[in-house]
Formats: sequence, structure tokens, C-alpha cells
Amino acid sequence: MKKISRLAKQKENIVDTLQLPKDVCMGALCVTLTGNSEAWIENYRGILEYTGETILLQGKTCQVCFEGSGLSIDYYTNEDMKISGCIKAVRYL
Amino acid sequence: MITLIQFLKGYLRIKVWGFSPERFMNLCSMRGILLWDIEKDGDAYYMCISIKGFRSLLPITHKTGTRVAILQRHGLPFFMPLLRKRKIFILGLLLCISFWIFSSFFIWDIELSGNYQITEDVFLSYLKSNDVTVGMRKKELDIEELEKGIRRQFPVITWTSARLDGTKLLIQIKENDTPSVLPEEPAEGGKDLVAPFDGKIVSMIVRSGVPKVSIGDEVTEGTVLVEGKIPVLNEDSTPREYQYVSSDGDIVMEHAVTHEETLPFDHIEKEYTGRTKVKYFLRIGNLEWRMEEEQPFSVYDSVIREKIPVLFQKLSIPVMAGSITHREYVNVEHTYSEEEAKSLLSQKIREFFLSLEEKGVQIIEKDVTIERGSGAWILKSGLLVQERAFRQEATAQEPVPSKNPETDE
Repeated sequence: MKKISRLAKQKENIVDTLQLPKDVCMGALCVTLTGNSEAWIENYRGILEYTGETILLQGKTCQVCFEGSGLSIDYYTNEDMKISGCIKAVRYL
Repeated sequence: MITLIQFLKGYLRIKVWGFSPERFMNLCSMRGILLWDIEKDGDAYYMCISIKGFRSLLPITHKTGTRVAILQRHGLPFFMPLLRKRKIFILGLLLCISFWIFSSFFIWDIELSGNYQITEDVFLSYLKSNDVTVGMRKKELDIEELEKGIRRQFPVITWTSARLDGTKLLIQIKENDTPSVLPEEPAEGGKDLVAPFDGKIVSMIVRSGVPKVSIGDEVTEGTVLVEGKIPVLNEDSTPREYQYVSSDGDIVMEHAVTHEETLPFDHIEKEYTGRTKVKYFLRIGNLEWRMEEEQPFSVYDSVIREKIPVLFQKLSIPVMAGSITHREYVNVEHTYSEEEAKSLLSQKIREFFLSLEEKGVQIIEKDVTIERGSGAWILKSGLLVQERAFRQEATAQEPVPSKNPETDE
């Protein structure tokens, strides 16, 4: 476990040094919020849970949970997705 | 744009429920099936999917244990079969489009702008004589030739531009607005400038001729102001001969003017009874169809409203629809109150002053009175005005003084 985290640290250092985009190299989730009504997400693996109040997404390294009310998915493709509704919280799990 | 493409390709609104709808969505995205407007209501998920995507859903539903139901069908692929049943509608649509296209091959309106001296009627009759008419084919029109022809026909036109805007022929012209220089009449006998009325000379600028009065002089009508006879003097200041010229100059005279306006006490006013009758008409080119009518009322006036439908307006096709409203009225005799009369008369006198100012007359003093005459209000105004005034008259010929016999010294 320790070894994996050390490798991850090293990789992050290299990416930082070479000034490479982290979302491409590290597979980090890219979340763009517009106010509290829209969210645009890239680099995810899939949906784990979807209700009107919660949308839980699986990323490469973590999970992200959008909480709010009246949440709906405007579109959903392999590349990106857009969530709209009243977003009250974004939590990383 | 995206909505239009979606409409053209067609899409479905589906309901997904069952064991794992989230997995269903993930698998769809993995296989490149686009889903949009995903909403959850109770246990079911509602979403939109393309027709092509829907056809490849079967393995996914098997894998995820979900069930899919179509709720709505949208787009052109679902609309077309419905249209097949409506043959008359299709026929009408096609006829409409073909009429539209066919009518766009013709000129339906001719608009002329920039003409001041040449009236529209004269111009249009010229166009007609050159076979440029409303309803002609666009192809038959040679714009360059038309422009040249216009310039040839009307020498006063200095610039022409004709262009087609849709089905409208726009002709813009520019007329020569500088006054045409008339060839000067040979100064046979010369011309004097004489006073056209009694008054006082206020300013005087003489360009040719011999001034006979000076600024400040009181003159009577017919007084010679500038003489068109220039004496050529001998050495002893006696006139040897006279040169006759056409006098020219700017002379401003001050004189008194009286003006009177009257307004009868009584006048007749229309009083509408409120009863109206409306008739409709339709006009296509010179053909007119209107609802049959007898004399609607014994005394009435009519208001005609014409309107070109928007579609024809854009195409400039001369189709016009309108209404004629006949309004009944009775003639009622009214008497002006003093205030009404005064305001009407002051309005009239204001217009008179304005017309004077437009003519270049400067009002120095004015004295206006309104009084009650017999049968009418009378407005009297005495004005002191300054205006550019002179009249040309032939110079009186004077015999050349006989030459003195030369004496030898």
C-alpha cells in the first residue's frame, strides 16, 4: 500500500515538473460548476447511484457525490456529462 | 442546431426500470449511445435516446436486467408516415412552394426613388414604353441597358442605379439639382431695376448698372433703383455715349404690409351617428373584387384601408386586401366661441408669418388685432417687413448726345 502511494507521489511529481495536464495524465476528475445549477464533469468511469437528490459518480481515483434537489442529467456520454438542478454540495469520497 | 439535428434524425423518450438502471446508463455510454434529459421519477428513469441507439439496446437490457418502454416518439421519421395519409396537404404544400418559386422569376414591383422634377407617372410610362412592366420576367430585363436608356431619355438625371431586390426592381436616380444656367439675353437696350412698391431702401449691393438711390432713401413704386445705362464720359465729363447692360444686384426694401383674415361665425361640423357599414375587397393587379353594395346611408363618408398580406409584401406581388368603412354623419351648424375663433385666427396668422419667413421676408414690426365684424371675426395685421425686392424693366433709351464739332486749336 505504502509502495503504491509512493509511486503515485512520484508520478504526481513528474507530472508537476513537466507541467502536464493532471486530468489527462493522472486521470483526475474534472468538475466545472456554473453557479449552483449546472455541473459539467469529465474523466469519470460511470454512475454508481442516481436519485433526484444524489448523483454518485465513480472516477479513476475517487468518487464524487453531487447532492441537491431536482437533479437531472442533461446528457450522458462516454466523455462527459452535464448535471443540472439545485446543487447543494459536492463531496469527494 | 442540435435540436434540429435531433428532430431530423428522430428520437424516443423511454422509461427504464428494473434491477440496475445506473449500470444500464454506464453500458450505454460505453457503447457510444447518447442519452439525454435523464430524469428520475420514483423507481423509473426517463430519458431520450436516438432511434439508432434504441435498436442496439437489447443486449444491454439483458445484461442489466432492466426493462425499457417507449413513451413518446419525436422527429421527422415519425412524422413522415403521418403525412403520407394527408395527400391533399402535401399537394397544397408542393403547390405553394412551386407557386412561390415560380413567382420569384418575375418582377412584381417597381420602386422609384430620388425623383423630384420627373414625376413617377412620366417615369413609369417611359419604363412601359421600354417593356419594363410589373409582371415581366426577370431574365428579360437588361439592367445596364435600362440605366443607359434612362440617362439618355432624361438629361436632367445625372446618375442612375437599378437593381433587383427579390422580386422588386429598385431604381434610384439623382437629378441635377444645380439650376441650369440660362444663356444670358443679349443686353439689347439694357435693363433697369425698379421698385415694385413704395418703401425705404435698407440695403443695396449692385453688381452691374448705375445705382440711382442710396440706402435710407424713401422710394415710390416704379422708381428706378439701378439703371442699366452706363454713360461713357468725355474728358469734360459730358456723356459721349451710353453702354446698356442688364442691371443686377441685391436690394432690400422696408415697407408696410397689411393682411386680413376672416372667420365666419358659423360653420358646419360633421357629427357621426355611430352607424357604420363595412365592406371588404380584394385586388390582384388591376382586377378588383368587392362586395356588392347599395348606397349605405344618405350622408356618409368612407374610410378605405388597404393591406398587403405579409407573404405578398415580401414577394412584392400586387395582391391587396382591404375594407371600406362607411360612416354615417349629419351636418350640424356650430358657432365659434370667442376663444375658439381667436385660437383659430392666431393659428392662421402664424401660418401666414411662417410662409413670409419661408419666402425670405423679415418681419420688423407687427400689430395684430382681432375684432367682431358683421357675420365674421376679422383679424387685421399691420406689418413692417424687409424683403429683397426689385423688378426688371427695360431701360429708357436716350439718344447719344451729338458730338461737338471738333475745333482746331
